[in-house]
Amino acid sequence: MRKSPILAVRGLRASVAETGVEILRGVDLEIRAGEIHAIMGPNGSGKSTLAKVIAGHPGYEADGGHVRLRGEDLLGLEPDERAQAGVFMAFQYPVEIPGVSIANFLRSALQARLEDGEELDLFDFQDLLSGCMELLGMDPSFAQRAVNDGLSGGEKKRNEILQMAVLKPALAVMDETDSGLDIDALKVVAAGVNALREENPEMSVLLITHYQRILDHIQPDMVHVMVNGRIVESGGPEVALELEAQGYEEYKRTHAA
Amino acid sequence: MSGGIAVGGGARVAEVGEVAAVGRGGEPSWLRARRDDAWELYEATPFPSTRSEEWRYTDIERLLPLGDLERSAIGPNWSGELPERLRRVLASDGEGAGRVVEMDGRVVSARLDPGVAAAGVALSSLADAACSADPVVRELLGTQAVPASDGKFPALNAALWSDGVFVHVPPGVKVELPIRLSRWVSRPEAPTFTRVLIVAEERSNIAFEDEILSPDFESGTLVSTAVEIFARRGARVRYVSLQRMGRRGCHLANQRTVAERDSSVDTLNVALGGSVDRVDLNARLVGPGASSEMLGLYFGEDGQHFDFNTSQDHMAPHAHSDLLYKGALDGRARGIFRGIIRVHEGAQRTDAYQTNRNLLLSDHAVATSLPNLEIEADDVRCSHGATVGQLDSEAIFYLMSRGLERGQAERLVVRGFLGEVLSRLGPGVVADKVMRTIEAKLVR
Repeated sequence: MRKSPILAVRGLRASVAETGVEILRGVDLEIRAGEIHAIMGPNGSGKSTLAKVIAGHPGYEADGGHVRLRGEDLLGLEPDERAQAGVFMAFQYPVEIPGVSIANFLRSALQARLEDGEELDLFDFQDLLSGCMELLGMDPSFAQRAVNDGLSGGEKKRNEILQMAVLKPALAVMDETDSGLDIDALKVVAAGVNALREENPEMSVLLITHYQRILDHIQPDMVHVMVNGRIVESGGPEVALELEAQGYEEYKRTHAA
Repeated sequence: MSGGIAVGGGARVAEVGEVAAVGRGGEPSWLRARRDDAWELYEATPFPSTRSEEWRYTDIERLLPLGDLERSAIGPNWSGELPERLRRVLASDGEGAGRVVEMDGRVVSARLDPGVAAAGVALSSLADAACSADPVVRELLGTQAVPASDGKFPALNAALWSDGVFVHVPPGVKVELPIRLSRWVSRPEAPTFTRVLIVAEERSNIAFEDEILSPDFESGTLVSTAVEIFARRGARVRYVSLQRMGRRGCHLANQRTVAERDSSVDTLNVALGGSVDRVDLNARLVGPGASSEMLGLYFGEDGQHFDFNTSQDHMAPHAHSDLLYKGALDGRARGIFRGIIRVHEGAQRTDAYQTNRNLLLSDHAVATSLPNLEIEADDVRCSHGATVGQLDSEAIFYLMSRGLERGQAERLVVRGFLGEVLSRLGPGVVADKVMRTIEAKLVR
């Protein structure tokens, strides 16, 4: 029996808010519970824009179509409401927040999910946080560091995975998490994602990447190729391997704007 | 209005002196003479105008309706209960080495921990100390650190000060807990002039927390404070000024710290309340190996106007000073920072830094930052930097994407921004109080 989709994207069109330049030209995508989907594409194909539009980045305007999470339309929601609904985006460039510790930040994020008047139990939070850090093989002192401020590229990406572990989203959108990482750092991050998936097999993942190599470490159920703001091919893991062999040139020729 | 505060002429000064000396057997003649000289200087000094570089962004004549201030500089002795807000602050401040309460410019109580007193530390009303002919007071009150010749307001303060605090720490005595001064100002349209004199003898330690509180006022109310701090060889002094006045309160502070060989004088100026706060702070490093950390934190909203005029005078070699002033400005608030590092001739191996950062939370808030260097030695390490930025929309989106509402996200960023200053200060009553006040401002 096929499960109903966690994420359903239909005919999604989106443009840059400031300039009105259209980036997404009708994207269709469905992800079911527990599935991992990879979106690959050349630079400028719109794959990162798709991630940002799902998360509600104010720099983009959705012009048509819909994005539903478990049936609920996300496009009218603020970014925080989308997070509450179960969306998590791991940023390609995690933002530095000086003076705010990772632990404090995560506590605020969990507190924000509670009803007014409800208080997050600090002991429960500590247990959750240290459990997640243990699962990801992180040193407990890491949580006392400022959010991304002074962290290396690899540490920033691990911080994203830690947040994902604590916030337990229904859908994790990973926006080029592999970019800028050497192979060792990439393996650490991929192992983190796999560990989370083992813990929480229902979590769906949308993995956005330029390169095939991360897919050696995180096995996708489906691979989509995006060119010029549309998904032009979808298939199993073999699609990524073909791409690796051929490159994007053929796709770019056939699907020119 | 060019005459400044409408407090009459010489006769008035005499009267002020008399009022200050009531019950103390009259003021000594040296003090009378200093007041007279100060008044003459006050009258001879032009009112600061925006044509002068140092007052360019603070039109004090416009911001502070001094002409409206009541003629009497000295209020009646405080009688009756302390105000509720002050009592709450006193109750929550916790343990200290000493506690002074000043009401409308008069010390109503000064208590020192018996153990600290037994070690020889003196804590008293400044007027009492002056009238009892304390030789240290006579030598240092308004003579070296903040003399009347410093300017219009130092002169006015020197002429009219009613009371304040004198702290004297004998050689080698280390006081662990801070001495706290809580000032309360209650009279609308009345000026208050007070002073602090701290003398830390060789190898002694002292921390002093100076808080100014008031209710909201309907019209401008002036508090002028002169703070003189001396750290003798190897002494350590920490001074915190925490301004949490109510609406329409105006604070003019003249602070000077003098750090001798191998001593340190660290200061923190916090401006959160009031309508106008102007702080002139001069850190003098007069002995080799002296050090000063100078921290500042301000959070303005509505039409609050904060102006910090700082200088770091390196007059001896191998001294170190490090200034960090950070402010957030919301509404139509205005923040001005003007700072200068002066490395005097012969002050080789000077290590001096100056940083001012501003975060604008509204399109109508304005920050002006003017860092400056003046170096007359050739072997020095100096740097200065200034930034004025707005809330980073990427940072807000990042935090919101984790489930924080926009307001919460903005608060977290501001807290983190200002928190850097408090983390340099270290945990304690001041950090808690400042954070609580900032939180209260942020949720408004």
